[in-house]
Amino acid sequence: MRRVGVLMCAVCSVARLSAQPSAPGTSPDRPPAVQVRPFVLAAEQRFAAATTFNAAFGSRLAPFYGGGVQVATRRGFYVDLAASHLDRPGQRAFVSNGEVFQLGIPLKISLTPVELTAGYRLKRSRRSRLVPYVGGGVGWYKYRETADFASGDEHVEATHAGYFVVGGAEIRIQRWISAALDAQYTVVPGILGLSGLSKEVGENDLGGVAARIRVILGR
Amino acid sequence: MSGAHFRCFFFTLTATAALFVARGHSQIADEHRTFLYPYSLPAVDQGLMSDVAVTLDRAAGSTYVPGRVIVKFRDGASTTARIRSLSLVSATTAVSERPSYANFDLVRIDPSDDAEAVADVLRQRPDVEYAQAAYRVHPLMVPNDQLYGIQWNLPMIDLERAWDIQGAAGSSVTVAVLDSGVAFQSAVVRFNGRAFRDDLGNLHPALGPVDIPFAAATDLFSSSRFVQPHDFIWDDNLPLDLDSHGTHVSGTIGQLTNNSFGTAGVAFNVKLMPVKVIDSDWDDIFGAPNQGTDDVVARGIRYAADNNAKVINMSIGRTGPPSPVVEDAIKYAVGKGAFIVIAAGNDFEDGNPTEVLAEIASRVQGAVSVAAVDRSKGHAYYSSAGSWVELAAPGGAARVFGRDGLVFQQTIDLRLGTSLVEPRACGVPASFAVPRFDVFMFFGFQGTSMAAPHVSGLAAMLVQQGITNPAAIEAALERFATDLGDPGRDNLFGYGLVEARDTLRGLGLAR
Repeated sequence: MRRVGVLMCAVCSVARLSAQPSAPGTSPDRPPAVQVRPFVLAAEQRFAAATTFNAAFGSRLAPFYGGGVQVATRRGFYVDLAASHLDRPGQRAFVSNGEVFQLGIPLKISLTPVELTAGYRLKRSRRSRLVPYVGGGVGWYKYRETADFASGDEHVEATHAGYFVVGGAEIRIQRWISAALDAQYTVVPGILGLSGLSKEVGENDLGGVAARIRVILGR
Repeated sequence: MSGAHFRCFFFTLTATAALFVARGHSQIADEHRTFLYPYSLPAVDQGLMSDVAVTLDRAAGSTYVPGRVIVKFRDGASTTARIRSLSLVSATTAVSERPSYANFDLVRIDPSDDAEAVADVLRQRPDVEYAQAAYRVHPLMVPNDQLYGIQWNLPMIDLERAWDIQGAAGSSVTVAVLDSGVAFQSAVVRFNGRAFRDDLGNLHPALGPVDIPFAAATDLFSSSRFVQPHDFIWDDNLPLDLDSHGTHVSGTIGQLTNNSFGTAGVAFNVKLMPVKVIDSDWDDIFGAPNQGTDDVVARGIRYAADNNAKVINMSIGRTGPPSPVVEDAIKYAVGKGAFIVIAAGNDFEDGNPTEVLAEIASRVQGAVSVAAVDRSKGHAYYSSAGSWVELAAPGGAARVFGRDGLVFQQTIDLRLGTSLVEPRACGVPASFAVPRFDVFMFFGFQGTSMAAPHVSGLAAMLVQQGITNPAAIEAALERFATDLGDPGRDNLFGYGLVEARDTLRGLGLAR
């Protein structure tokens, strides 16, 4: 929560910069040609590696928190750069005949995606409060896994590229504040599936489907 | 101990019984033993069997990881001062990114440099608070038992690091030892020694009533260590070991550890349930009413399961026709939540016949058969091979490695306890003095009997860790075993050598 608070402050600071009065001669309702719109986000991801996550954490759902910035054009095109973070404590385990046995050895993962999205906002009219959008992009996913009783080379630290598509809608709440709800489908190969539980059960995708909510400052 | 004596006791372990007890006597009342006193004189400990060099191979002193030095600069030391300090050491030094949870820096140096010397130089600098090499830290749990240095078998399965994970090592788990009994109690017992005939055909006169002293093994006994003892050979609750085998096996499972004495055991806090299902030669001479037959073994298995044993060690076996009565009992025990470990057999060079009890284990999820490896993780020359072999563990082999290749635990002093067995192998005339079972030594044995209790101890640690389903215990042991021999399961090693630390630690998501 503290992290989210810090992000909110940062967002507000940036928002003040972008929310300058319109240039003389332009309509006050008409957004600038290019806007910089900071946002904070919270997401709940349903990981594709279901057995792996269920074995270690008892659930395949996990929350991410983060923020980013969007550069949007009046024509509807936009680019997002977002960073988020997940921390999750669990247990080491093994799987036998589909049954999971947790061993009580503490384990912790962290996942930090940095994602670059390009997309299109389908703004139907200037006064419309609902703006659907679609996009897709590429991300870099920094994964770290530590566990008790590990020797130095048994910790995992890996960064791998992944890709995703996203679709949702943005609704304007106030003149300078919008909320966006979307779903993002991510594929992150190359981290899971090489060893450990994920290899055991044949799961090699660290991605999944995330329901995201973003609070965006800007028009 | 002389070589002749050594061959004597070794032979008694690996050969079938070669003593013929004259049973011409009528069934008389004094056939059964009489428990005279609950204690005898204190046990005598004879130490280690002779001619074994105790070498503690843990070198004193520290070793460090080359290529880096740990440095803490004083608060306020400028970047320039830091760079200057580092440049004094070498032109190639560089500060790595500060690791998490650190208030110090890791300085990379040339791996060929002496890290201690580099640290010495840095320590002289006024801007350096401290500097040291990155000394390797070892597991804390290296037992202080005097003879731990000769127990190559425990580090072989990475037990030290397993103890780091689970120091309790099975304190809430009961392991039943179905064997020749255990030296679990001090007592004086009056037996009636009958006449008997040895395998040379010599008839030996009756000893008559004899008072035999027993003592609890000094490196095995502790208060609350033994639970629910039962003797199916004598039909009472006094499963005393008149052989040495069961006491040795029990030592591998749960020898008292970190007590600055003797040897260590795998699951050293475990509770032991002595269940006697095998008769020794002395049991026969003293007229035990039962012998170690399938029905007795089956009853022992059921008894252990009914009395909440979570692991049952069976360092016993036979060849020949199938044994439905034992198979039924094994399935019953597994159904009640007991994990069963059975020795895979010692007959590889004797035609390698199918081991009946071990073969049953291979067909039951929740029971395993265990082959033996020698000190180099090779196939122990005697260890039976076949489709029934599921796992391997250290069993020792003197043929290749001499006595240093044996598995050492405390047991009854064979020179006093079982000296009558196999006079030919001893190379000396038979001497049938009245035995005593209150004198102990640390003896080296070999056999799949010695391999199985390693697995039982490890299984007890898994149970302690919450894996109580026998089938899951088997799956874990097989999954984390180190594959030996042909890739995958094979007939010599099964799924491989058990690996204690990896088994207890399990898997993370990505490693």
